[in-house]
Amino acid sequence: MSEWLESAIIRGQKIDDWLTPKRTQAIDLLSTTPWPTRKTEAWRYTSLRAIQNSKAKNIETIANLLPQNITDLSAIELVFINGQWDKTQLPDVLPKGLSISLGSDLNKEQQSQALANFSDIKPKRHLFGLVNDALAQDVVIVNVEDGFNIKQPLRISSLLSLGAESHTRVQVTLGKESHLAVIEDVKAEGDSLCTAFVEYQVSAKAHLEHYRFALQTGSNVAVGGCHFNLLDHSSMHSTIVAFGSDLSRLDTDIIHSGEFVDAKLNAIYLLDGNELFDLHATVEHAMPNGTTEENVRCIVAGRSKAVFNGRIHIHRDAQKTLAELNNRNLLMTNTAEINTKPELEIYADDVRCAHGATSAQVDKQALYYLQTRGIDRAKASVMLNFGFINELIDLMPNTVLSEWIRPIIRNRFSAMEVK
Amino acid sequence: MTVQVEIDEALGREYEAGFISDIESETFEPGLDESVIERISKMKGEPDWMLEWRLGAFREWLKMEEPDWALVDYPKIDFQAISYYSAPKSMKDKPKSLDEVDPELLRTYEKLGIPLIEQQMLAGIAVDAVFDSVSVVTTFREKLYEAGVIFCPISEAIVEYPELVKKYLGTVVGRKDNYYSALNCAVFTDGSFVYIPKGVRCPMELSTYFRINEQNTGQFERTLIIADEGSHVSYLEGCTAPQRDENQLHAAVVELIAMDNAEIKYSTVQNWYPGDENGKGGIYNFVTKRGICHTSAKISWTQVETGSAVTWKYPSCILKGDNSVGEFYSVALTRGRQQADTGTKMIHIGKNTKSTIITKGISAGRSNNSYRGLVKMMASADGARNFTECDSLLIGDKCGAHTFPYIESRNPSAIVEHEATTSKVSDEQLFLCRQRGLDPEKAVSMIVNGFCKEVFKELPMEFAVEASKLLEISLEGSVG
Repeated sequence: MSEWLESAIIRGQKIDDWLTPKRTQAIDLLSTTPWPTRKTEAWRYTSLRAIQNSKAKNIETIANLLPQNITDLSAIELVFINGQWDKTQLPDVLPKGLSISLGSDLNKEQQSQALANFSDIKPKRHLFGLVNDALAQDVVIVNVEDGFNIKQPLRISSLLSLGAESHTRVQVTLGKESHLAVIEDVKAEGDSLCTAFVEYQVSAKAHLEHYRFALQTGSNVAVGGCHFNLLDHSSMHSTIVAFGSDLSRLDTDIIHSGEFVDAKLNAIYLLDGNELFDLHATVEHAMPNGTTEENVRCIVAGRSKAVFNGRIHIHRDAQKTLAELNNRNLLMTNTAEINTKPELEIYADDVRCAHGATSAQVDKQALYYLQTRGIDRAKASVMLNFGFINELIDLMPNTVLSEWIRPIIRNRFSAMEVK
Repeated sequence: MTVQVEIDEALGREYEAGFISDIESETFEPGLDESVIERISKMKGEPDWMLEWRLGAFREWLKMEEPDWALVDYPKIDFQAISYYSAPKSMKDKPKSLDEVDPELLRTYEKLGIPLIEQQMLAGIAVDAVFDSVSVVTTFREKLYEAGVIFCPISEAIVEYPELVKKYLGTVVGRKDNYYSALNCAVFTDGSFVYIPKGVRCPMELSTYFRINEQNTGQFERTLIIADEGSHVSYLEGCTAPQRDENQLHAAVVELIAMDNAEIKYSTVQNWYPGDENGKGGIYNFVTKRGICHTSAKISWTQVETGSAVTWKYPSCILKGDNSVGEFYSVALTRGRQQADTGTKMIHIGKNTKSTIITKGISAGRSNNSYRGLVKMMASADGARNFTECDSLLIGDKCGAHTFPYIESRNPSAIVEHEATTSKVSDEQLFLCRQRGLDPEKAVSMIVNGFCKEVFKELPMEFAVEASKLLEISLEGSVG
């Protein structure tokens, strides 16, 4: 076991609060979980050195930090500063049908209900999920009542000051036939460490619109996850944009627990310098008639490293499933790396599943075409790369967000180390 | 002594050792330690360096752990319960005629269209008396000799051509490569050795099948094929008919070396006993096959895998030289309780290297069939190209089809394309066939054969015919 994990366990053992029963369970599992090495399949391409060397600490005082401004976005702000919920940034009045509460503020009965749901969706053996179970500063519980369409998006921001550590935990439940958009983002000042986990329960016929922006770069370490449990006739649409950092790993788990579920996941990686982004996206089709569509596109420059593992698991009962995964990669330099593994594990026969993965550079002919039209090579390359990503940005249901992220992505392209 | 005489003598000697002398006294007790390896080496009359090499591998093996990453499930193997040298059965123990052979086995041979004489060989009948095997060996050996080709048991090559063996053995699959290959390095008892000289196109397809002394090759065979500059060889491996064996371990190693501009085509039809429908018995087939391509060389692997209880096999190409080409064509069919985890690795090192991977997995019954492959583009592989297509077909709702492709790219000018699909035999296709009077079994077999066509066309003619028949037989009882 690594020193880091040992110290995390010791810290977890010292906390005594309403989450203690769950912490103890997690600590028990953690103490028997070996620390991953390059031989551990789930960490084959991603080194945990950054986390082992991390000097990030728990900072008790609430710093004066504000989330990144998203032009024209009017969201309900759920802000964590160094892992602690800053309630002052939440509007006084929430839209009808939406409630947000802190686990420790609930009464005993409500707490035992929350405890029952805690860690129910996240896979049991998820290493950093267990770390988050053990060290979670508290749980914020978001609830949308049956039949309510919450027009305003909910934004979960995690802000970290220099050298801070945070272990945020949010449970989001969408009632039957409800609708909610959630934006998750992180802003960190460097040398930080963050395990941010959100568990989503999407009830029958509800729809979840989800975004996760991992735009913090450099010496910030993030090992988090988004886990979705989807019931009959529910649907979700998720968009992930990541710029990578010293260590940035995201585990998403989409579980089709009901029939006729529709899940879409689009992910964009733009990596440069020495950054790494690792997305492990798992889809479990446990029930029949589900559909899944995943699109993952990566542009990798400098000495950066993209890791993608896309697993689609079709269980015995999941007949009539339609699942597709498409992973396309553009490699800009021969010092950068792409490691991708789109997996299919299928136990039902009446299904249609496909995956495709490609790795290449920008089409030389297209580049030449643009050059003959008087566009210089660098600019032409940016245009083509941008086109590659732009298709996925266009698919974002929220146009305020797509208009906000577009110029950010464009600027990042222009600054990329291509040679 | 001329080379011819040497070959003659060597073949003769081996033949004797295989069938007459030494036999009954030399079946080892189960168990594995350095003394067992020393005995194997001594029995083979090996030079000291070979024994040292084996012992080195054994010491490495002791430090290694059995791999557990494949999607296969089998009880832990007790390596001390295996006999590491089982000499060919004596004539007395063999069935005297086809009447004594399991009729089901004969029915299969018949369907495969195997000539009677070969049926007898495959069934392990003492063919020497009835079949002039020596003349077959002689004709074909003369033909090869004229071309300068060396084709002999590896145990003989170690003695007769030590400089060639020493130079190449273990250069592609090293002693520390993996658990099973290390074990093979330590205890291999026989296998083939092929050397094709510069610029020679091997006049005939080489096959283990023709080499009678291969018939009873042990569980740990080792094959080394060296195609020198500008040469060409097509090698056929394997049993085209079931061998009725109890649950046993088969850990072979095949090393291919294609020098500049050489080409090696390696075709396998593997149909070891898969165990019964409840998963009892059957072969554990843990095989390491790898080739290295030098400049402008080409290695092409084609495999049809229908047998074995557990298959763990990844024929691979190291595309070291510029402009070299690697190909992998595979059909893997699993039924009953069979488990197959098979695929390939294409390691692109040289510039403008190209690889093609076409795999067809068919799962039926309660079996599991996985494709596991790696395409790696090193930073030096400018202009490299890979195309991979993995298709899976499911027959029945209790089987599994899985795909685990790994793609690692370090070169921006390299292009990797991977696609995989999974589907079932569609009701529409079946209906169409049945409308035309085909019974469901025939119809499925026809559809499956069509599904595998891309791979079958890569097989040498007579192998292709057998492969498609084999598929038909294997599918029997899977439909309905």
